[in-house]
Amino acid sequence: MLSRRDEILIGLGVMALAALFLWWLIPTYVAIPRRVPNRALAPSFWPNIIGWTMMLAGALLATRATLGPALPTGTADRVGPRGPEFLRLFGMAAIMLVTYLAIPVLGMVWVSMLTFLAILFLTGAKRLGWGVLVAVLLPLTLYFFFTKVAGVAIPQGQIVRLP
Amino acid sequence: MSLLESVAAGFALVMQWESLFFLATGVAVGVFAGAVPGMSATMAVALTLPFTFALPPIYGILLLLGVYKGGIFGGSIPAILIKTPGTPASSATALDGYPLAEQGKAGKALSMALYSSCIADFVSNIALIMFAGWLALFALNFGPPEFFTLIVFSLTIIAGVSGDSLLKGIVAATLGLMLATVGLDFIGGTERFTFGSVEMRGGLNFIAVLIGLFALPEIISYVRNPRERDASVRGLGHASLTRAEFRGSLKSIFRGSAIGVFMGSIPGIGAAPSAFLSYSEARRSSPNRDNFGKGEIEGVAAAEAGNNGVAGATLIPLLSLGIPGDVITAIIIGAFMIHGLTPGPLLFENHADLVYAIFIGLIASSFLLLIIGSVAIRAFRYIADVPTNLLFPAVLVLCIFGVYAINNSIFDVLVMMAMGLIGYIMLVLRFPAAPFLIAFILGPLLENTFRQSLLMSGGSLEIFLRGPITVIFWCLTVASLYFIIRSTIAAARIRRQARQGSETAPEQKD
Repeated sequence: MLSRRDEILIGLGVMALAALFLWWLIPTYVAIPRRVPNRALAPSFWPNIIGWTMMLAGALLATRATLGPALPTGTADRVGPRGPEFLRLFGMAAIMLVTYLAIPVLGMVWVSMLTFLAILFLTGAKRLGWGVLVAVLLPLTLYFFFTKVAGVAIPQGQIVRLP
Repeated sequence: MSLLESVAAGFALVMQWESLFFLATGVAVGVFAGAVPGMSATMAVALTLPFTFALPPIYGILLLLGVYKGGIFGGSIPAILIKTPGTPASSATALDGYPLAEQGKAGKALSMALYSSCIADFVSNIALIMFAGWLALFALNFGPPEFFTLIVFSLTIIAGVSGDSLLKGIVAATLGLMLATVGLDFIGGTERFTFGSVEMRGGLNFIAVLIGLFALPEIISYVRNPRERDASVRGLGHASLTRAEFRGSLKSIFRGSAIGVFMGSIPGIGAAPSAFLSYSEARRSSPNRDNFGKGEIEGVAAAEAGNNGVAGATLIPLLSLGIPGDVITAIIIGAFMIHGLTPGPLLFENHADLVYAIFIGLIASSFLLLIIGSVAIRAFRYIADVPTNLLFPAVLVLCIFGVYAINNSIFDVLVMMAMGLIGYIMLVLRFPAAPFLIAFILGPLLENTFRQSLLMSGGSLEIFLRGPITVIFWCLTVASLYFIIRSTIAAARIRRQARQGSETAPEQKD
């Protein structure tokens, strides 16, 4: 269970997301034809209903958290990461971003090996020998499965190409 | 094609060694994944999905169904041996299974779990075969208004998969509906939320979304807190299940199977309530009711029968109406989509051989589960030793290759990663992921059938009440909402009383 403060913030956050959707994303990024025979047939009709439903649910979440009983002190779960947790999460986000950006350059197999090893180091894994073995063998196995069996062209990158 | 011809064609499709091989592989993968602490049947089905697209439809679908069936049973192994249920429904199995393991009777509990799982699974498959065709025939009369009202009713299943907070379930569902609107508009062909990107015109790839949502949050959670799991594994012991114990539990097994079939055929209820209801019914009617919770073998049988009785029945709405009964069947829709098949009444018309092949394959899966499950019970000690520090990076690599392979698109890998981050935030903030996925699947159907209906009627809303079928679905929706609101209020009251009780207890101590 989360604390009352967190639940109120979640409700308000949902309302802010709904507002963003209703008053910025829909008007800017939904192309509406000039002549629509019926309002319900307009491409913005469903997004508007969804946005308003989300707004209402967010308001109810915030209201319920405000009016409901608070949790006993010290029993609420912690939401935000602290210290090393934050660093590891930040590291994971960086690994994912670099993985995506590096695939066209290095190829999926080599990037997967590096990603595997990066997560091993990030989490302070103990069995490094096994880790390196799996990091090398798994992407190679998947590469041969997808290219030779499934006929999928796995991105090779621009540096070292596999057969 | 007549019924007999369809059955014969289906039989010919299944009775090839490749079909049985993929089915057996699926069951083995499912049992393994269900048994590994930290993995789940849902994650296993999601990760297997990309590997099915290179296969002919029948092999791919049988592989996934095998993973599903195996995963549900596999979850009971850690529930009994280390009190760590692999699936939420296995929590009921742990109530008596773990005490039995503590008494050195884990082998007995696991054997009973396996036998009751296989029997319930078999009963559930028979129910699927009996009712799915009939329901599909009935659904052939449906037009867009009937489908619209059916989907509105089906969206109430979100309540069943919302967990503790219905409101959070609704928010998650609106988020799923929101993302489902990305792409070209169905009627006008205009762009919605594509941000000028050509890749987003076709909408977000379903497989990328579901893998991101169900596999990546677990990996991110592990990275945030990579402590080794320290659950101790109990030995199997030397006590084996006797014939008298098995016979004594048969009534509970069949009752649990019936409960599972009934609850599984209603979208959204899922295996966990079925397992607990079956368990409580067994306890209520058993002469050994005082022993329940302390290591009663009948309790294990009832819980597992309720859990596995759902497995075939959840496919009834999926195959006959195209409505996923729970989150795993929502993922299985992906397998049909990959092969250009749409579950629903027309599947029975156009691909009857495939449907009957699936039915026969499911029956075969019950027997394969019996064989593979027996081996898995003995091998669990090794399965439990799979190091999580290798497992989770390996899952990430599998996700990257699998998602890319669906459309040869690196953009899909980006979608998966973005969904992983969204899924992790939802996990931390206690938003359930299942409503998101179900809404993401049903959203386009809901919108399209609504707009098709309005085009048919020239804009008149009366079309949504045009016949008895639409009226029945509206009545079911209202009834479902009434029960949801009533049970939500009752649950909130119980939680409030429990909280007040825990607050007053320390004061009394003082």
